[in-house]
Amino acid sequence: MSAERSAEPDDVLLRVRGLKVHFPIKQGILLQRTVGHVRAVDGVDLDVRRGQTLGLVGESGSGKSTLGRGILRLGVPLTAGTVEYDGVDVASLRGEQLRHQRSSMQMVFQDPMASLNPRQSVETLITEPLRAHGKPVEADTVGRLLELVGLPRGAALRYPHEFSGGQRQRLGIARAVALEPALVIADEPVSALDVSVQAQVLNLLEELQERLGLTYVVIAHDLAVVRHVSDVVAVMYLGGIVEQADSDDLYRSPLHPYTRALMSAVPVPDPDVEDHRERILLRGDIPSPADPPTGCRFHTRCPYRQATRCDDERPALRELRPGHSAACHYAEQIESGEIQPADAAEMVGTG
Amino acid sequence: MTGTPGQRHAPLLEVDDLAVVFHGARGDVEAVSEVSFSVRPGEHVALVGESGSGKSVTSLAVMGLLPARSTTVRGSIRYDGDELLGLGDKERRDLRGAEMAMIFQDPMTSLNPVVPIGVQIGEVLQRHKGLSRAEAREVSVDLLTRVGIADGKRRLKEYPHQLSGGMRQRVLIAIALACEPRLLIADEPTTALDVTIQAQILELLRELVSGTGTALVMITHDLGVVAGLCDEVHVMYSGRVVESAPRRSLFGEPRHPYTGGLLGSIPRLDAARGEPLTPIPGSPNDALPWTHSCAFAPRCGNRVDECTTQTPLLKGVGRETQPGYERALRCFNPIDVREAS
Repeated sequence: MSAERSAEPDDVLLRVRGLKVHFPIKQGILLQRTVGHVRAVDGVDLDVRRGQTLGLVGESGSGKSTLGRGILRLGVPLTAGTVEYDGVDVASLRGEQLRHQRSSMQMVFQDPMASLNPRQSVETLITEPLRAHGKPVEADTVGRLLELVGLPRGAALRYPHEFSGGQRQRLGIARAVALEPALVIADEPVSALDVSVQAQVLNLLEELQERLGLTYVVIAHDLAVVRHVSDVVAVMYLGGIVEQADSDDLYRSPLHPYTRALMSAVPVPDPDVEDHRERILLRGDIPSPADPPTGCRFHTRCPYRQATRCDDERPALRELRPGHSAACHYAEQIESGEIQPADAAEMVGTG
Repeated sequence: MTGTPGQRHAPLLEVDDLAVVFHGARGDVEAVSEVSFSVRPGEHVALVGESGSGKSVTSLAVMGLLPARSTTVRGSIRYDGDELLGLGDKERRDLRGAEMAMIFQDPMTSLNPVVPIGVQIGEVLQRHKGLSRAEAREVSVDLLTRVGIADGKRRLKEYPHQLSGGMRQRVLIAIALACEPRLLIADEPTTALDVTIQAQILELLRELVSGTGTALVMITHDLGVVAGLCDEVHVMYSGRVVESAPRRSLFGEPRHPYTGGLLGSIPRLDAARGEPLTPIPGSPNDALPWTHSCAFAPRCGNRVDECTTQTPLLKGVGRETQPGYERALRCFNPIDVREAS
């Protein structure tokens, strides 16, 4: 989006270091013993620059939503790590301080039907965040917010069920921007919407970013959506970031085998492209985050897996080109073609 | 409507002027009308549309799965030359599973959660092929291997909740293919799945269907899925087909403003970044009744006066790049060929 600011290092609005969110698995009725942990987020470093959009993309179970909620401390206890927002360590905040901090970090949820109270009118819904934070509600506030998200002012007295999915998502966005936050985290903002409506909401998000100078973290499973809205994209797999790069760079030259497979799996609405592209089919399913594979989390499905090192040693996210990092021991060798995929049958070319 | 008769195989499925009316407490709702399409053996045909377009209702009507008491189905559905509408429940049941099968979107709700998958696969074989339980078990293991599930013997004893989403969808495909049906209807078969799993399932469908002469009807909202799989595409809006064309002409030169709008509003992975999306204004809820207007008119950029006073008819148009096909269009003011390219 509007990425053309000169990005100083201290222009970082959100800095996440070593973030871990582990959920305990309890067993037993009386003595709830902890028998293991779901490692939903397992060591994530992130920087989000002011005014930019960071896209978090991953499949189900990758921990992208938990990461988003962890940043906001939204019902997710942090196991380890720090979240620094505008220089303040959010992880250490408690009670009133945390509540206050949250007024400048807001969230847009996936399902606008489930996140809007069906018994509240639009006016009540939109002013709720303001009232909760003790901010003044002026006569013009509701109308102004509705206009901002492209809804008629007359909508104020109506109820959520009277709106279509896209309009409800606009209401969700109006609620999120009501407090004039600096950071908005959008978790799957368009995946519940019809195709023809998705683009409206994506365009609205971009427009608001420009007008209000917002910083976004957009979480989605759809790589095409994420690439479209993001300046920087981070690809997650089983609780960790496997690749992070400028959006164009990531698309042009993905370095991690998982990113390559993910890209080749996204269908493109163009028969010429579809007939001639190379498909990398991954074997099997995503392993359970309760029992993640040792070493590289991806080695169980990786066509480029090399004996023992990939199984034993967890690769760190390394910067391989300026602004482009990947967590793969052999990223360079894979890119140069030195290492070929193990099972040639897995690479399916059609056409 | 599609193709020149006598050129290739006779159509396996011919749907002609199909209409489905639901009788509700607050009056009748016409969910689908004037839908016609045909599928030849080995052909892959897509019905594309958003929610409320009638694509799933069409497929349920073909399968004979709509409740008879509260729905009226008119028109004609011919399978292998025989009319299906008016057949009794028993005859439809004999066809379903053996001759035509369906794969549903959500494998968790279409599998029985308290019955092991082995029984659910075997059931089809016992019912239609008259196999014994032991024979059915053997064939089931083979079927699971074909859909890419290893260790089938052990898997047969498992319950749906023990399988991942992708595995469940494979089981559903195994059930659908158990009796080697000649017509397979897949209703959003990959929508509930992750992208890498979606790629696996689509590849599997491609493998299983191509070469066997199985006719495939793919129901989806995702034009990307259609682009690589289907020969012919019917785009539906508010219960009617608005554009039908072979896939290359449809994607290359969309003529209906709705088709063009859909293609313009999808973010593409391979597009240059920063290229703005051109959304279709409004939502599918804004559709007008077809009786005196075009349902898409309120959202249409090409709207002319006729669009809100008359009903557009589906008409064949223009020359086509591929012989044997014809494009059909329901529009008073379609996108110019040059404008689109």
